[in-house]
Amino acid sequence: MSDIALVREKAWQEFEQTGLPTTRQEEWKYTSLARISSVLGEAWWKEAAASDIDQATVDAYAIPEFDAYRIVFADGRLQSVTSGFPDGVTLNSLSELLEKDTQKAATALQWNVQAPLFNAANAANSALARDGVCLCIAEGVVLDKPLYILHIASNPGATHLRHGLWLGKHAEAHVIEHYAGDSAEAGLTHAITLVHLADGASLTHDRLQTESLHQFHLGRLDVAQKRNSRFISHAAALGASLSRLDIAVALDEAGAECTLNGLYALAGRQHCDHHTQIDHIAPHCTSREHYRGILDGRAHGVFNGKVVIHKDASGTDSKQSNANLLLSDKAEIDAKPELVIDHDDVQAAHGCTVGQLDENQLFYLKSRGLSDEQARQILTRAFADTVLTGMHSSAVRRFIEQAAFAKLPGEIASEIADELNTAAVPE
Amino acid sequence: MSENTQVEDLVGKQYEAGFVTDIEQETLPPGLNEDVIRHISAKKDEPEWLLDWRLAAFEHWKTMSEPNWAHVKFSAIDYQAISYFSAPKSSEDGPKSLDEVDPKLLETYKKLGIPLHEQEMLAGVAVDAIFDSVSVATTFKGKLKDAGVIFCPISEAVRDYPELVRKYLGSVVPTTDNFYAALNSAVFTDGSFVFIPKGVRCPMELSTYFRINAANTGQFERTLIIAEEGSHVSYLEGCTAPQRDENQLHAAVVELVALDDAQIKYSTVQNWYPGDENGVGGIYNFVTKRGDCRGARSRISWTQVETGSAITWKYPSCILRGDDSVGEFYSVALTKMHQQADTGTKMVHLGKNTTSTIISKGIAAGFGQQSYRGLVHIGKNADGARNHTQCDSLLLGSNCGAHTFPYVEVKNPTATMEHEATTSKIGDDQLFYCRQRGISEEDAVNLIVNGFCKDVFNNLPMEFAVEANRLMEVSLEGAVG
Repeated sequence: MSDIALVREKAWQEFEQTGLPTTRQEEWKYTSLARISSVLGEAWWKEAAASDIDQATVDAYAIPEFDAYRIVFADGRLQSVTSGFPDGVTLNSLSELLEKDTQKAATALQWNVQAPLFNAANAANSALARDGVCLCIAEGVVLDKPLYILHIASNPGATHLRHGLWLGKHAEAHVIEHYAGDSAEAGLTHAITLVHLADGASLTHDRLQTESLHQFHLGRLDVAQKRNSRFISHAAALGASLSRLDIAVALDEAGAECTLNGLYALAGRQHCDHHTQIDHIAPHCTSREHYRGILDGRAHGVFNGKVVIHKDASGTDSKQSNANLLLSDKAEIDAKPELVIDHDDVQAAHGCTVGQLDENQLFYLKSRGLSDEQARQILTRAFADTVLTGMHSSAVRRFIEQAAFAKLPGEIASEIADELNTAAVPE
Repeated sequence: MSENTQVEDLVGKQYEAGFVTDIEQETLPPGLNEDVIRHISAKKDEPEWLLDWRLAAFEHWKTMSEPNWAHVKFSAIDYQAISYFSAPKSSEDGPKSLDEVDPKLLETYKKLGIPLHEQEMLAGVAVDAIFDSVSVATTFKGKLKDAGVIFCPISEAVRDYPELVRKYLGSVVPTTDNFYAALNSAVFTDGSFVFIPKGVRCPMELSTYFRINAANTGQFERTLIIAEEGSHVSYLEGCTAPQRDENQLHAAVVELVALDDAQIKYSTVQNWYPGDENGVGGIYNFVTKRGDCRGARSRISWTQVETGSAITWKYPSCILRGDDSVGEFYSVALTKMHQQADTGTKMVHLGKNTTSTIISKGIAAGFGQQSYRGLVHIGKNADGARNHTQCDSLLLGSNCGAHTFPYVEVKNPTATMEHEATTSKIGDDQLFYCRQRGISEEDAVNLIVNGFCKDVFNNLPMEFAVEANRLMEVSLEGAVG
């Protein structure tokens, strides 16, 4: 049996043995995956049929006016890829590696039961992933344009994707993963991204999820950081009927820094769960985390941010905050900002709020002649926008803002919207 | 029978009918089965319904498994190796005078400034009668009687006020609530019963009285406090002095019921034996405490200072059922040596405009492990609910741990909920500042720790706040530097 077959076989066994997590498990207390199998049937992992998407459809889903290297996956299969990468940047698709370089493919498909936030579905992904992007950037190379990976789900069934991003010493890149689609039938997107940052490497990672409201979405981001590396993540979850994103960051060597920002704007019966775990293993690492959620309708949001400070992590500096705005009396938020600290030389803080818009701010805007509704809309948008400041690309940011704001109740007067847009994104 | 004559009867019973139970009673061999429960019930002369209640709890307990989610480590408890009914130690077995008591213990008493006769009582010295205390107790009983307050051991309450006990027992913490609560319901042997009638403000802190009477609190203690409409009571459990205890497992249940406009303030100072420097021995303190703000505008406030026990595992909670009710939780937990504490609170907001405040201060030193675990639940109908949570941890030494697990569940858009937590060590600059002004390092640490705990100590009854400060100093001795 080849390496790959062995890896896949073992992974599948792990999945068969353990099965999907249930709400009896602490990490899955508020999110039941039973809906996936009840909607998609027992063989929920069965692959979606291939589809051929034309350029116009791709353009309709893509972020407009965005200058980037674009890679498109349609229902889990590589559709198109641009070329012209600078020297030192190697980009292969997983399907290509599975044929040519099984060693590398096996690395990309690795899974680890001991990993934080591991669940058996991760192993299933290792067993089933058909395609993905494997990006290697050599030492000192800076990727000149962002890499934009667009996924479009249009057929029912599951797509299993596995991406790997390996950045060499002092390499730099900006990668955007975008999951889109508007299929009227239920499907499952299951995507895992492995990130490895060598000494001094720097990765900006944006993850946008604007899938159809019938789609299920399971995601995982696994980050390992070496000395003085930097990882900046923005995660926006706007679509899908049920979505779950696990982010596990290991700050393995001294001086590593990570920033995790996220926004979830939910309406209808959407359910969205974010679990993050930051492991401070080495001394003098810094982590910042800021997630915000706006929940309308019968939406159910879950946020669980865990920061673990290990025994030798002297000089750790960690801050985490989570804020939520409930707009409807049927919406629900369950938050748990956790701190596990086994060392004394640390600065750690977290905060969590659930509430309404500030009466004073509303009064201020109204005293300036805005109606109550306008004032509320402006403040709600401003609430969401806080976590998007600092995004690298204004095109991506504007795209997220438009997608998120479109979900919020009420039509904001167009001139105010324009005003907000121009004010929010200084060019 | 009117309440007053009931109280009169009770008071007429003299002190020996109080906490000191019949010494003739034999100790049961270790093990737990129906017969043991029947025996306990028979010894306590309990009515049929209570025996059935105990047996139902036991049946359910057998189907439960020990919870293991807490952030604590301990070797498995053999529930069949515990004796569930032991007569209180006869006073002849105790030391004859203070000279025979462990000098270490005496030294601690001295540091805490405990009066001599209380030292004797705490150390279990066989004194014929502590005249002061008895007379003090009698005076207090008179005062309570005049006010119409019932305060007696729960076994006595079962006998004298069965309708009250039956109405409220298990109504806040059902027998099926959790593993330890079920066990307690099946085998509880002792505890207090407090009933404050409508509109009465309890004339004294029940603490003082309790301190005198509480020499033999059981291993499975059951406390029930009922505050009727518009009444007010403050109750203090435990005391700052370290107490020797032979029982390793303590699984108590405390139930509080506050009706309309009632206020209950429940303060705990817990300083059980924490085990030795190597983490051998020490008490397992697994307690279920819950208050039910049943009436509108009622208020329940928990204040705890936890410095003892090898393992503390408890979450004093408030169910804010009545509109405009208020729940409060103030806690200082100190873990040193190999102590572990997994403690916090649950605030369940069900009524409209309910408010809760959580202030938790954790201090970990040595190899101590400290966890705050809390739940703030704001239900669908809890319009205008507010919560403010602040939990801070202070780490002294690089081998200890401080963890925070706050659960937040909000289902109402008009709720306001804030949670903040920080963890840090004592700043070098703070220490330097104190040292520079001639304060020794140990005093400086004490000063800073006391400042850190101030928000909680301020909520203790006055005399205990002073003691709590001193307790922190004594507890931290040798933990720093």
